[in-house]
Amino acid sequence: MREGKKVSVEVSSKKNSNNEKNKKNQTKNNNNNNDNNKNNETKKKESQNLVKKTNKSGRSVQSQNEASLKSEEVEQQQLSATDSDSDYQDFSEDDVSENESLTQSEDGESESSGDEVHGTGDDMNNDNDDGPADQSDGSQSQRGVEESDSSEDEVAPRNTIGDVPLEWYKDEKHIGYDIAGKKITKKERQDKLASFLASVDDSKNWRKIYDEYNDEEVELTKEETRIIRRLLKGKAPHADYDPYADYVDWFKYEDSLHPLSNAPEPKRRFIPSKWESKKVLQYVRAIRKGLIKFDEPKEEEPRFYLLWGDDSSTAEKANRLSYIPAPKSKLPGHEESYNPSLEYIPTQEEVNSYQLMYEEDRPKFIPKRFTSFRSIPSYENAVKDSFERCMDLYLCPRVRKKRINIDPETLRPKLPSRKDLKPYPATCYLEYIGHKGAVMSISTEASGQWIASGSTDGTVRIWEVESGRCLRVWEIGESVQCVAWNPSPEHPVLAVSAGQDVIILNTGFGNEEEQKRVEELLQVENPTAPDDSDNMASIVSWLQDERLGGIRLRHFKTVTSVEWHRRGDYLSTVMPADILFSVYLIFIVFVYSFLFMVESPTFRAIVMHQLSKKLSHRIPFKLHGLPVSSVFHPTRSIFFVSTKKNIRVYDLLKQKLIKKLETGLREVSSIAIHPAGDNVIVGSREGKLCWFDMDLSSKPYRILKCHPKDITNVAFHRSYPLFASCSDDCTAYVFHGMVYSDLNQNPLIVPLEILRGHTSSNGRGVMDCKFHPRQPWLFTAGADSTIKLYCH
Amino acid sequence: MPKHYRPPGKKKEGNAARYVTRSQALKHLQVNTKLFRKLCVYKGIFPREPKKKFRGNHHTYYHLKDVAFIRHDPILEELRAKSTYLKKVTKAKAKKNRELADALLKRQPEIKLDRLVIERYPHFVDAIRDLDDTLTLVHLFAALPATDRMKIEVKRVHNCRKLSHEWQAYIARTHKLRKVFISVKGIYYQAEVEGQKITWLTPHGLQQVLPDDDVVYDVLLTFLEFYETLLAFVNFKLYYSINVKYPPILDSKLEASAAELYALSRYFDANTRTSEQVAETQLEESELRLAQLQHQLPSNEPGALMQLVKGPADEIEEDEDTKECKKLFKNMKFFLSREVPRESLLFVIPAFGGNVSWEGEGAPFQEGDQSITHQIVDRPTQGHIYLSREYVQPQWVFDCINARIILPTEAYLVGRVPPPHLSPFVDNEEEGYVPDYAETIKRLRAAAKNEILPMPGAGVEDLDDPQNLLAEGYISRTEAIEAAERKQKMMTLEKQYHDELKMELQSTQSSSASDMNKQSSGEDMEAREESLPDMQQIANDTANMSKILMSRKKRGLYEAIKKGQERKKAHVDLLKERKEKIDKAKKGKKN
Repeated sequence: MREGKKVSVEVSSKKNSNNEKNKKNQTKNNNNNNDNNKNNETKKKESQNLVKKTNKSGRSVQSQNEASLKSEEVEQQQLSATDSDSDYQDFSEDDVSENESLTQSEDGESESSGDEVHGTGDDMNNDNDDGPADQSDGSQSQRGVEESDSSEDEVAPRNTIGDVPLEWYKDEKHIGYDIAGKKITKKERQDKLASFLASVDDSKNWRKIYDEYNDEEVELTKEETRIIRRLLKGKAPHADYDPYADYVDWFKYEDSLHPLSNAPEPKRRFIPSKWESKKVLQYVRAIRKGLIKFDEPKEEEPRFYLLWGDDSSTAEKANRLSYIPAPKSKLPGHEESYNPSLEYIPTQEEVNSYQLMYEEDRPKFIPKRFTSFRSIPSYENAVKDSFERCMDLYLCPRVRKKRINIDPETLRPKLPSRKDLKPYPATCYLEYIGHKGAVMSISTEASGQWIASGSTDGTVRIWEVESGRCLRVWEIGESVQCVAWNPSPEHPVLAVSAGQDVIILNTGFGNEEEQKRVEELLQVENPTAPDDSDNMASIVSWLQDERLGGIRLRHFKTVTSVEWHRRGDYLSTVMPADILFSVYLIFIVFVYSFLFMVESPTFRAIVMHQLSKKLSHRIPFKLHGLPVSSVFHPTRSIFFVSTKKNIRVYDLLKQKLIKKLETGLREVSSIAIHPAGDNVIVGSREGKLCWFDMDLSSKPYRILKCHPKDITNVAFHRSYPLFASCSDDCTAYVFHGMVYSDLNQNPLIVPLEILRGHTSSNGRGVMDCKFHPRQPWLFTAGADSTIKLYCH
Repeated sequence: MPKHYRPPGKKKEGNAARYVTRSQALKHLQVNTKLFRKLCVYKGIFPREPKKKFRGNHHTYYHLKDVAFIRHDPILEELRAKSTYLKKVTKAKAKKNRELADALLKRQPEIKLDRLVIERYPHFVDAIRDLDDTLTLVHLFAALPATDRMKIEVKRVHNCRKLSHEWQAYIARTHKLRKVFISVKGIYYQAEVEGQKITWLTPHGLQQVLPDDDVVYDVLLTFLEFYETLLAFVNFKLYYSINVKYPPILDSKLEASAAELYALSRYFDANTRTSEQVAETQLEESELRLAQLQHQLPSNEPGALMQLVKGPADEIEEDEDTKECKKLFKNMKFFLSREVPRESLLFVIPAFGGNVSWEGEGAPFQEGDQSITHQIVDRPTQGHIYLSREYVQPQWVFDCINARIILPTEAYLVGRVPPPHLSPFVDNEEEGYVPDYAETIKRLRAAAKNEILPMPGAGVEDLDDPQNLLAEGYISRTEAIEAAERKQKMMTLEKQYHDELKMELQSTQSSSASDMNKQSSGEDMEAREESLPDMQQIANDTANMSKILMSRKKRGLYEAIKKGQERKKAHVDLLKERKEKIDKAKKGKKN
């Protein structure tokens, strides 16, 4: 009966225009429906149908609702039914994806979404499903419509809000509007706690689902849960569905008169392929030619052979640079042992102290002790060490170096015994105490009986050498830089430099005749310096000093050193404070009458003065560099000027430069000339002492690095082969410096003694050293305001 | 035109013409740094120091001839071709053409380094001389885990292991090993081959750490590639010299299944042992037999390889040292407990003529064997003790080897802290400090030498010798052992007596001498002090005196030497000071 109805529905539906298909499917549908009906019957027993829960076509429901409300006319119902059906068809196809449906019908549809034949069948199923479900629903909800004989028409209008997304009303109290425009209110929701408590109490809670659309709670039946389980497993929802049913072939060949195709079988079906054979031939040729290779494991020929067959034949030399084998890595010592003896293991304090060291100094390997073989851990730097070795092998330049394994003592030069070189000053014999400040300079009298000293306390003293008695004191008033006895015994005068002045003092020694001559000499008739150039006056002025009883030569700059000519005729002074410092020659008596011309105002440093006429002159030499000190040649008319770097030697007679000695030092501080005049020693501020052999070269014959601090002064002995240097490190060195008359023999230099005794004050040590003119004695003047005499 | 004038852009002369900097060399060869490094490593080219560094101190200089040497080598073209070929592979991979990429990789051109080996080392001795680094690196890689990230392939690790075992097998069989030293860094071995002393380091057989950041593994692998080739050729030559075929044919199945290697090796080992015993009985070994033996050899047991080379090695005439080494552990049977690191002991003991076995399936003899003389144990306590043997720690073996005598085992017994292990590479006298234990060993050696002399003369000894008696079947095994023990005790007593005698003699001599010295020096001192108060100062002065006259170069050298001596002395002083402290502490404890 229902099937008949179905057919009628089908026919009446205008959308299913494809009649042919319908006809074809009729029988098939029958089958399907049979199956489905069986299912549905089981379903009917259940109180609620799953279809209800699914999102059904709203419109159909609406229309049905409407119909049920307005009238119960069959026609209308029929019409609405068709409507609903047609509509439903549309929707059902749309909803396939939407509803992961629990119903069989929709499941079926999803399986065969593309296939129209099946689709129609499914549609019918849907209809069938609807029928009974609606019936039951209707019986529950709408009593009034119960009378309707067609169960299909009474699709339960559960929710009448239409096809409206629920989220629009999410926050509202109503779920939507019915057709009359009235609000459909939501059911009272229990508060969470209550619902939870209820759910806890309810043993069936786990199968309850809230249907949002219809706003109700639904309890799943056992059958439904079973279906869900099956679906979860991916099986057909109903247990009695046979997915592998026998295929029923609708087309019957027996009664067909003609085959589907009338064409005769082609010949190519019976003969071998030409193209195939061609291709094969091509391959064969390629293989024969060796174009195609197979990846067969190659026959492994022995990779290794006797490379060094016989060594003689392979000895031919490769055209390459010599191979320098890499040095072998260092062999491990006792401390690298896993169990070294205890003394090799540093204590904890020592290990801690390594942390204070610089990273480069830190020992790379700290010995450890493991009491048994099994407890040795793996060495964490094994790979790193190897890598470093590899990098060394590849990147370190290799040089063949001869490793000298010599006794360091053999490196020392063989020196003659010091005993053979005696006498020389060795021990402190006397101290001259009296000065209050650092003794800057000392000078010995030509006879060797007296010494004069000048100090920063502003006094000049004369001492008796033998006794250490202070004979005379002059108060200069300014700190004394330099004192110098006149070397000529006929004129016992003393030149003292203090500040900008050079004072020539009458010592009062000598017999009356000499004294008379000196006094005569020390008379300045005309106080202003007579000079042919007018700017001379600004440099030097000759004044009579009544208080001290001498001549005061006032310079325009501080004078540091005063040097007498050997005959005591004239003296030079140095003013290093000025960049262009000047050296004055002061002619005291007769002798040279040469005249040095003033070259330019910038050459003020070099002036000449004639003292018999009380004159000062500049030296007409150009000095390259800053002058430090100056010395006269002991025998000839040669003049040495030391600048900071070089020594310049001038001939005073010819008025030209003879030689330039290149010291190579940073800063020259002092200079001394051997009594023979051919050798010069130069002391420097970096503590080096240079010995120049003037005949040999303009470079130093020997450089002695003896003092750690500045050399303040150097001195030669007049008769003994001795020379000395004194320095700010509070020591004085005494050397043996023998110069042979044979020019082929180099001078012999032997260090003899280090003289100590002075103490440092203000960072200065020994300020001056002078030899006794006759004895092998050395005087040293210290910054600690004492003068010491060292004797042999 | 003066000689030194060179117009700009014209040819250079001097160092600038002979040397090029590294970047210049790269440009000249048209290679990148990586390839250059590879070339340098293969060809053994290293930077050289020009007399004048014309580009400054921070450059690396190569000699132009060296660069030309690389340039003219076909390996340059080969490497270029290979890199081009590898580009094909990358291209195939980029196109997801897996098959092509695989096929290309399989057909890769192989670069052979044979020519470079002979070029670098025209004589065999040269190769032997340069073998230190080779062996160290190969042994290191034999212990490294294979990782893809570092490009350390399993194949290479296996090859390294194989090569190292081959080398060890040769050394052990020909008794060329001289010194062994267990350091924290690993175990140092020193062997003497062809008159060359070769020292190499093997890591302790533990999981090695692979540092990530400061190691470039490409460099190591490049070196390893050359070293593998070199070592293989050297091994070939060495095996050839003792008439053994190289390479030993190994079971391919074993090689393939690296995981089961360990288990299988023992099984195979057992086979070799039995067959080897047979082989020993037949004195003349045919080539066929040898091949068979080789066929059964596992790759990672050095012991197995050693057996292989046994026969022929005996024929070669040996020098004194080798004879001495060969005899050291003669007639001694060792058994290694399971916790003892086997690898090194299995190499070392046979190298000095001993017989070894271990706990495991393939072992030549079992723990229960009565003839075992020493069991090497590295555990706090030993449960079951056979009275017939001595239980010693592994260090005893190494100390015996370095001392070249059989040391008394008392100090090395189980559970004791062994005496210090001293480096055999140090010349104590030169170092200036002799550790106590070195002194005792020295004395023991002297004593041993003295004792050996009268031994052959005494006929009684022969009768007493328990081995002989055993052979005649007079006394039972236990009695023999007892006798041996008694004899040993006697010997030790005798030794002690000798030692003490010597010590006494020495001490009396030295003390008297020192007394004399002290007295005389004291007198001297006093006399001097009277005459010169500031002795120290003057001594310093006189020392400095002659230094003043030295040239700068010589003075620098002198000062450097002095500094070195002082440092050494300071080190020795520190050791002495520590020693004193330790002794004091010990005395305090005793009291």
